[in-house]
Amino acid sequence: MRVEEKLYTLRYKRDEEPHLRIINPQQCLECEREYGQPQPCISVCPANVYSWNGEKLILSYENCVECGACRIACPFHNISWNYPRYGLGMSLRYG
Amino acid sequence: MMYDVIVVGAGPAGSAAAFKAAKMGARTLVVERGSEPGAKNVSGAMVRVEDLSLFDVKTLPAEREVKRVRLVLGGDLQVEIKPKERLVNVGRLKLDKWMASQAESAGALVITKTTALKVTPEGIITDRGPVSGKSIVLAEGANAILSIGSGLRRDLRPEETVQTVKEVYSLNKDEVNKRFGLTGDQEGIAVRYLFQDPVPGAGFLYTYRDSVAFGIGVHMSSLISHRIRPQDVLEEVKRSLGIQELVKGFSLREYSAKIIPENGFPSWRPCQGNVYLAGDALGLVNPITFNGIGPAVISGGLAGEHAVNGECHEYETSLLRDRIISQSVKVRPLVRELLNERVMRNYISMATNLSSSWVSGDLSMTPLKENSFTLLKHVLLLMGATS
Ligand SMILES: Cc1cc2nc3c(=O)[nH]c(=O)nc-3n(C[C@H](O)[C@H](O)[C@H](O)COP(=O)(O)OP(=O)(O)OC[C@H]3O[C@@H](n4cnc5c(N)ncnc54)[C@H](O)[C@@H]3O)c2cc1C
Ligand code: SF4
Ligand code: SF4
Repeated sequence: MRVEEKLYTLRYKRDEEPHLRIINPQQCLECEREYGQPQPCISVCPANVYSWNGEKLILSYENCVECGACRIACPFHNISWNYPRYGLGMSLRYG
Repeated sequence: MMYDVIVVGAGPAGSAAAFKAAKMGARTLVVERGSEPGAKNVSGAMVRVEDLSLFDVKTLPAEREVKRVRLVLGGDLQVEIKPKERLVNVGRLKLDKWMASQAESAGALVITKTTALKVTPEGIITDRGPVSGKSIVLAEGANAILSIGSGLRRDLRPEETVQTVKEVYSLNKDEVNKRFGLTGDQEGIAVRYLFQDPVPGAGFLYTYRDSVAFGIGVHMSSLISHRIRPQDVLEEVKRSLGIQELVKGFSLREYSAKIIPENGFPSWRPCQGNVYLAGDALGLVNPITFNGIGPAVISGGLAGEHAVNGECHEYETSLLRDRIISQSVKVRPLVRELLNERVMRNYISMATNLSSSWVSGDLSMTPLKENSFTLLKHVLLLMGATS
């Protein structure tokens, strides 16, 4: 089963304002040169939030399961990580 | 309104802090970002009931009592023990709601759908406005952005962070009983796996009443260096350990993920001025025993108590005096040793060799002789937690 299908088991309420942001897109190019593909943020993300289109990172922030990994994984501290506002984002039934 | 104690997070640590503070008569507020306590939280979960004794455990919403703990090494070696203490499997949503409701009954006010953004000298700022309070307990869990932002501790590094992914499968309780050889709807089992492919890691399987939870934890640095995603590790491990067979016909009910911290107190200070850290925010998980909820409740209780009287120093000493917390601290060197990728691979293959050579009556393997003592120590440590 693909992760995108697995994410259907979760209840999401989307925050229109992205809670994740790349601080400096240029840094990701350098990261790709140094670490190759997939870059660290892509490797650790269990929800396929990050993808690389050859030039820059695309963020599907609305899929985020709020695990907290990508910020720590980024060797350049290039991810600005906040929680979705007002409890938006994903909710669990079992946890 | 000026609160005596403001608690950030209604997880085990936060609810324990609020429960204790409110019991002592302090005006206590809890802010929780989830739509209800537990809605954002992930665990197995298996808990030692004794660790929760701060609360009224008679009403604990346990799914099943864990009567057997099985350790599976590399697929071949299996050890099973009967726990001496009372262990239960619980779902986090139920557990966290139960803990928060106990804090509420003690007099604390719990506000959900509210995220704390910043700690200030007067209290906190949330996404719904500022709140003032004399003491602040940060029980925000492993992704501790407030604690880090306040300069109370540093961020985790990839080599001290475990990434976990978990799935819950459901069917009816009779089928759960049948597949796991359980004699009734109350009886449960906990299985722990150690695997080495595609990257070394640990797995867990817990039984809920009408469902089963399976998950894995792998070091973040292994994922980065092997360029492999946790969900792909999960799928491979499920295949190699036969989990897919075990849950055949069950439907996937939930997929979730969370990081586990493997460093923290005492190298991180537990408080500064009127701000206290507890639970995962302070890095108290014991990865050998998989016990995080226990230390969270215990530290939360102590933080709540000392926050009421503004006793930062006393909080620190009370943490060191506690048996469960000091256990988490003591295993740190072993964890670093054991969870190192190379060492872990060695152990798993050694354990498998040990068991197969034992079965075939050949006990002359030299690597075994050299390492068996350490191996035994590690296995005992792994099991000891639950015995
Ligand atoms: C897959 C997995 C399996 C595990 N299995 C077990 C197990 O079997 N047994 C066990 O004992 N432990 C287990 N653990 C560890 C255990 O889950 C943690 O140690 C425990 O949850 C820590 O409790 P806590 O209260 O410190 O943090 P959390 O439970 O993470 O609670 C933090 C709370 O704070 C809220 N919050 C965070 N930031 C803010 C903010 N800024 N504003 C408002 N609210 C906020 C969150 O929504 C959350 O409710 C497991 C962990 C994982 C990931
Ligand atoms: S790891 Fe950091 S720098 Fe590298 S691609 Fe991801 S966000 Fe960019
Ligand atoms: S927090 Fe977790 S799920 Fe969300 S983007 Fe980061 S790694 Fe992916």
